[in-house]
Amino acid sequence: MKRGFAYVVPLVLMALSTAALAARVGESAPNFTAIDSNGKAHTLAAYHGKFVVLEWHNQGCPYTQKHYNSGNMERLQKEWTQKGVVWLTVISSAPGTQGYVTAEQENDYLRRMNAAPTAALLDPNGDLGHLYSAKTTPHLFIINPDGVLIYDGAIDDKPTPDPADIATSRNYVSLALAEAMSGKPVSTPTSRPYGCSVKYAH
Amino acid sequence: MLCLAARAIADERGVAIPHGTVELLSEQESIQPGHAIHLGLHFRLEKGWHVYWINPGDSGEPPQLEWHLPAGLRAGAIEWPAPSRLPIPPLMDYGYEGEVLLPASIKNTSGLAAGEEVALTAGMKAIVCRDVCIPAKANLSLSLPVRAEQPRESTATLAMFSAARKALPKAAPASWRPSARDLGDRFELRVNTGQSVSEAWFAPLDPLQIENAAPQKSVSTAAGVRLILKKSDQLLKPVSRLWGLLVLPQGAYLIDAPVRPAPAKRPNKEQ
Repeated sequence: MKRGFAYVVPLVLMALSTAALAARVGESAPNFTAIDSNGKAHTLAAYHGKFVVLEWHNQGCPYTQKHYNSGNMERLQKEWTQKGVVWLTVISSAPGTQGYVTAEQENDYLRRMNAAPTAALLDPNGDLGHLYSAKTTPHLFIINPDGVLIYDGAIDDKPTPDPADIATSRNYVSLALAEAMSGKPVSTPTSRPYGCSVKYAH
Repeated sequence: MLCLAARAIADERGVAIPHGTVELLSEQESIQPGHAIHLGLHFRLEKGWHVYWINPGDSGEPPQLEWHLPAGLRAGAIEWPAPSRLPIPPLMDYGYEGEVLLPASIKNTSGLAAGEEVALTAGMKAIVCRDVCIPAKANLSLSLPVRAEQPRESTATLAMFSAARKALPKAAPASWRPSARDLGDRFELRVNTGQSVSEAWFAPLDPLQIENAAPQKSVSTAAGVRLILKKSDQLLKPVSRLWGLLVLPQGAYLIDAPVRPAPAKRPNKEQ
């Protein structure tokens, strides 16, 4: 009766590679596989050789609205995906919490906002959020073509929900991408991410 | 007197913001030229809603005031009473639930002349949160008469100001000699309070030094207290000082502890 025992160990691990289990700047970014709003799977390791941006998102959060209703986030998505960056928006709101969306609702939102991420990953269980310790919406991470995390923090240096502050802000994401693409070290590799708490399941 | 009574009623109501009210209060009924005016930003929020400390923790942002004052007057910064920990697992915020008075003083009043009435106004911005957050804006104003004599304390606000002042962090006595050690992924903070400490926690004033949500291990020692604090994952360089509040049952104390560097790593040691 014991023969089959070794085969029934439940495979509950996410698709994790040998990479580090925490997201820390200067180390390999933890690998993941997640499903987007069109049902397509995205695996970080498959984007080796490209810059990848992870952007935590909650369409009901005033700080997210600051950057979307002003067009700031959509502009960033267009600018950087045109330069070959893979931009993954991630939604970790649990069902029943602010920002939770079905695939269809997210696709409606992306169309309505004219948003241009490479894909919007649906993470209602919060697995990807916990893997990266995503704290706020927005919270941004940048992974370089070698798979190393090079930025973890806020979108910019004006931690307010007021769209009027965007014009005078210093955008950490654009700064880090521009520096890394021209072979320079990232001058601000971490910052306090600001915004609403990610609405994880409790 | 009628005028005073009308103002008291207006003060009691405050300005409506999402899930509460906010108002400017004065500790005194008049301004004496040459003396500071003690004001406070007073929030009253519905149960479960909060505003934030100067370091809000993992999410949120502190209330801000933009003063519009008569020429010459100068506003001091908001003073921040010790916050409560507001856990929203897996995150930790720092702030104030329900009701709080944040003191702020106006200085440089020597140019004012007795007999005039002075309007003190400020634009207030805050984020009011429970599980969700709502931005709040309000234009606040308070007008006070200038009188030559020493001002009377306002009976309506005296108790509130004295409670707020009691909740402000105090300077730690020099004998406490706070010090910290870098233990790789943690800091050890020692404070020689001179007596056993039943309960203590550290509220960081630098947002990127410690992991806000990590449990803090507090050990009462013969000399005082020792706290183990997990480093922030976002902290990439050694820090020379740990800066924040030591929050004890009897009050909060400002701590600025030099950090001794981590012991040299053996070449074969992992990480």
